[in-house]
Amino acid sequence: MKKFLTTAFLFTLAVAAFAQGAPVVQKSLFEGQFLAHIALAIAAAGCGMAQGKAVAAACEGIARNPQAAGNIRTTMIIGLALIEALVIYVLVAAFAVH
Amino acid sequence: MEHHASGLAVLLTWMFGLARHPWGTFAHGVPLSILERYDHLLISSLAALVTVGLALAVRFRLARIPGPFQQTMEYLLSFVRTLVSDNVAHDPDRYMPLIGTLGFFVLLNNLFGLVPGLGSGTANWNVTLGCALVVFLYYNFHGMRVHGIGSYLGHFAGPVWFLWILMWPLEVLGLFSRILSHSLRLFGNIAGEHVVSAIFFTLVPLVVPVPLMIMGLFFGLIQTFVFIMLATIYVSGAVAHEH
Repeated sequence: MKKFLTTAFLFTLAVAAFAQGAPVVQKSLFEGQFLAHIALAIAAAGCGMAQGKAVAAACEGIARNPQAAGNIRTTMIIGLALIEALVIYVLVAAFAVH
Repeated sequence: MEHHASGLAVLLTWMFGLARHPWGTFAHGVPLSILERYDHLLISSLAALVTVGLALAVRFRLARIPGPFQQTMEYLLSFVRTLVSDNVAHDPDRYMPLIGTLGFFVLLNNLFGLVPGLGSGTANWNVTLGCALVVFLYYNFHGMRVHGIGSYLGHFAGPVWFLWILMWPLEVLGLFSRILSHSLRLFGNIAGEHVVSAIFFTLVPLVVPVPLMIMGLFFGLIQTFVFIMLATIYVSGAVAHEH
């Protein structure tokens, strides 16, 4: 892991140095849109895991007590929307970069 | 970002013969008429007009034996009323008009995105920010009305008195960041949905976008529900009495 991080860091430095050295119009790989897409992918992965846990717990609750299905569903939808909002913030940031 | 004016704005521009000119760097300097530039205002005004029209239509044709239209509206209103009275303990009917109107406005704005020739007003941050600001002013006003200005501002200090120097700034910051989170959630969901639909439409223009549009219908309903639910929770938090 450490080796990987070091490599990534050196690669970033190399790209930045390359971008500084030559008067290029193109931005470096680690700026702007590319970074926004990576950030969105990370956010979506975290959101997927969190929503999976939430829905699993809600299903379990409904299976144990089907009469509480209505309340559990409402609460679950609110919770899912709040979790999803975090990804949406990253999406808005990605829009802002474009 | 790309800017796609709705078909309605283009049609009205053509009908009234409005002049097109570039708006700085907006939409990469493409010449647009004023209606095409402020498309979201056109669509959200239309949504507001339809909301008022629906309310007036059902108001002036109230029947003892309700027809299908009146029954639908009664169902929607009783849904909002249950939502509000489940969350606000004291005098829920006072807060119902704003929340219900907001619900209709946001719902129509979301669903207009699926109508050919129209767009979603809520896919623009200005519209959702306006709604969130209205809700913010509304619940703060009612919090101050119920508790008085001093004790409303004082309750942000938390239960332990000597922690006020930590709690108060954080709570007030949280209060203001609610405007951002409340408005960005709706805007991001609707705008993101449209972007995804547009990308799939450019990839495969037949059949494939249809499930996504059905998802859009579903998300439009869910996001409306979440928006008015959060508004209700904010109101109930502001006017709640601590027993």
